[in-house]
Amino acid sequence: MDGTEQVFNQIVKEYSERVYWHVRRIVNSHEDADDLVQDIFLKIWTALPAFRGEAQVYTWVWRIATNEALNWLRREKVRAALRFTSIDAEMERRIDSDPFFNGDAAERKLSKAVARLPEKQRQVFVLRYYDEMPYEEMSEVLGTSVGALKASYHIAQEKVRTALGGETLFDGTD
Amino acid sequence: MSKRNDISTPEGYFEGLQQRLSGIPARPVRVSPVRRLAPYAAIAASMLLAVTLGNALLRKTAVPQENDGWTYLSYLASALDPDGAALVDEATWEEEEGPYAEDIVNYLLADGITVDYLNYVNYEEGY
Repeated sequence: MDGTEQVFNQIVKEYSERVYWHVRRIVNSHEDADDLVQDIFLKIWTALPAFRGEAQVYTWVWRIATNEALNWLRREKVRAALRFTSIDAEMERRIDSDPFFNGDAAERKLSKAVARLPEKQRQVFVLRYYDEMPYEEMSEVLGTSVGALKASYHIAQEKVRTALGGETLFDGTD
Repeated sequence: MSKRNDISTPEGYFEGLQQRLSGIPARPVRVSPVRRLAPYAAIAASMLLAVTLGNALLRKTAVPQENDGWTYLSYLASALDPDGAALVDEATWEEEEGPYAEDIVNYLLADGITVDYLNYVNYEEGY
């Protein structure tokens, strides 16, 4: 096993689970999340020899993961349009038919509200609310200023709150 | 409300996932035909770009020739007369000026009007 392979295995060990949960929140299906995680790590492996260490491994891995998740969403949007349906309807169908969804009605409602957010807002919301990533790290990963991220999260939060009928679901996440 | 317990994975999923992901380096690298052809396409595109830019640069920097045989007048003539029956260029046009004036003088002399008389008329009329 050479050095690159060792580094890759370390990345797998350290990040695979977190990347899976992030992706799962974006795609709303275990099978698709599983496929996407494999694609992400294949990309990481392919790009690893070119990684020069200018960014932290953490930031680099998350950047690849979030980009791939965003690309997946865009592809899915096109696929949904070709089937004469909307991505929102498709996401709701996924949430309703997911055998690994154990939440109650309110949590299902929350998942659907998050799925209806515009793709970038959804990403910010998932990173902040579910993955609990600090704004500074999000800023490095997404290449957006902290101020813009806070504004984006605030807007997303308001949309979700409205979709839930004003119900408070946010336990201290600003 | 908990944030993570609303979704789950099959039993032992993450152990299996890590094993599968760790197997990625051992997988044979498949190169798609598009990726294989990409370098050649890039070379062809850059050559085409170089030729286009070179051509544009030459057109921009070339000094226009004074008598390149194609003037606005000849363009107009060819546009008006596509068969080229009445095609004239500037050189021909200038050459035709001389004989035309000479013809007039010859015509007047043939009618018995002398050059002295013509000079006298010009003088009287203040030309």
